[in-house]
Amino acid sequence: MTSSIAVALAVARKDLTAEWRTRELVPALAQFVVLALVIANFGFQIDSRNASSIAPGVLWLVLVFAGLVAFGRAFAAEREQASLEAMLMTPASPVAIFAGKALAATILLVGCEAVLLPALTLFFGTPLTAPVVVAVLLATIGMASLGCLFAAMVARIRARELLLPLLTLPLWIPFIVAGGHAVQVAMGASGSYDQAMALLVDFDILFVVLTSLAARFVLDE
Amino acid sequence: MNKYEKAAAPAVALMLLAAGAIFLFAPTDSLQGPVQRIFYLHVSSAIAAYGCFAVVLLGGVIYLRNESLAADRLARAGALVGVVFTTVTLVMGMLWAKPIWGTFWTWDARLTSTLVLWIIYAGYLLVRRLAEPGRQGARFAAVVGIFGFIDVPVVHFSVTWWRTQHPGPVIINDALPPEMLATFLFTMACTLVLAAVMIAIRYRIETLADGSVPAVAEQASVVTTREPEPVQ
Repeated sequence: MTSSIAVALAVARKDLTAEWRTRELVPALAQFVVLALVIANFGFQIDSRNASSIAPGVLWLVLVFAGLVAFGRAFAAEREQASLEAMLMTPASPVAIFAGKALAATILLVGCEAVLLPALTLFFGTPLTAPVVVAVLLATIGMASLGCLFAAMVARIRARELLLPLLTLPLWIPFIVAGGHAVQVAMGASGSYDQAMALLVDFDILFVVLTSLAARFVLDE
Repeated sequence: MNKYEKAAAPAVALMLLAAGAIFLFAPTDSLQGPVQRIFYLHVSSAIAAYGCFAVVLLGGVIYLRNESLAADRLARAGALVGVVFTTVTLVMGMLWAKPIWGTFWTWDARLTSTLVLWIIYAGYLLVRRLAEPGRQGARFAAVVGIFGFIDVPVVHFSVTWWRTQHPGPVIINDALPPEMLATFLFTMACTLVLAAVMIAIRYRIETLADGSVPAVAEQASVVTTREPEPVQ
């Protein structure tokens, strides 16, 4: 058990070090996030009256697509250098390797959220409060576990860029429903914030358990 | 006539009988008029789709446990037939919604979750098409089929969990007059027979398709069997 955690942390540290040295993904995603907000401005004709009602929707749309890119990249480097096979040949358990990759991808997506949320506050005037941040972070956990599972899967399939959104987006819907509701309430809409958060935690537990059970079958050769 | 044609003929005949019951035996709804007759096939094909996706789930779980090729073929057959029945449910539902609700589509919990169900299993079929045939594709698809099944209870209980425009369960609430209930139960039985026959025929097609690529099957078996270490 402790050795599995050590493996997961080592894999995560490897991915984060690689990202730190190349600085590819996070700057590109940060730029994508700002660009997406600019596009949303033109698509929705945003002014000071409708900004607060549109902002939660824009937040989740941007986050979903940034997430798809982040998780897709998580296994791209391994595929290009065929290093995943080498990692799987070690005695380390595939689930620990998967957990490490998922952890690193989650941290990178959180880095991108650290740009998205302040940018949303700046451009849309929405409050940047703890409830908003907690809801987004809770949704990120479940979305990351599902996203990494399917990213690991499609990395070995033709037309992977096409297939990743098709498989991942339908299963992300629970997080967008519960997280979207929590953020709307935190930004001033009526409803129960606690209920939405409880639902988010339930979905997190369900999908983290399911993905860790399934990871063995996706990674193992 | 081979045994598949022998099974298909009565299944089609049963559906024609069900059509007769729907249009000739069942009474016309006093509020909605003849359009209510869509109900019988709409609900029956939804239940048949649930059944097909349960077959995908079971086939996937069995495949992941013991790599049974038969279970994998069954899952493939179930997914395709399930997508067909979900399509029938969605299309008939839209045709019913237009005169009654005044619109083909509304973003109601049950409609949305059914559309998501269709998308998930259409994705399953895409994985089957794009992944290399053999062990890897079967494993990936099994995982998609197992995760996708989470949406089936969501579709089923959406009318109880959320306030929806779509009506709730009428069968277990005893809201149907006896002739309508009899027609519905008969149509449902016929639809389930049709679904089972379609799965059986599709299973046969998958078996033949697997047989036509013997190299892949052989390769898969080589990977799975662990050869004993040579004795020095």
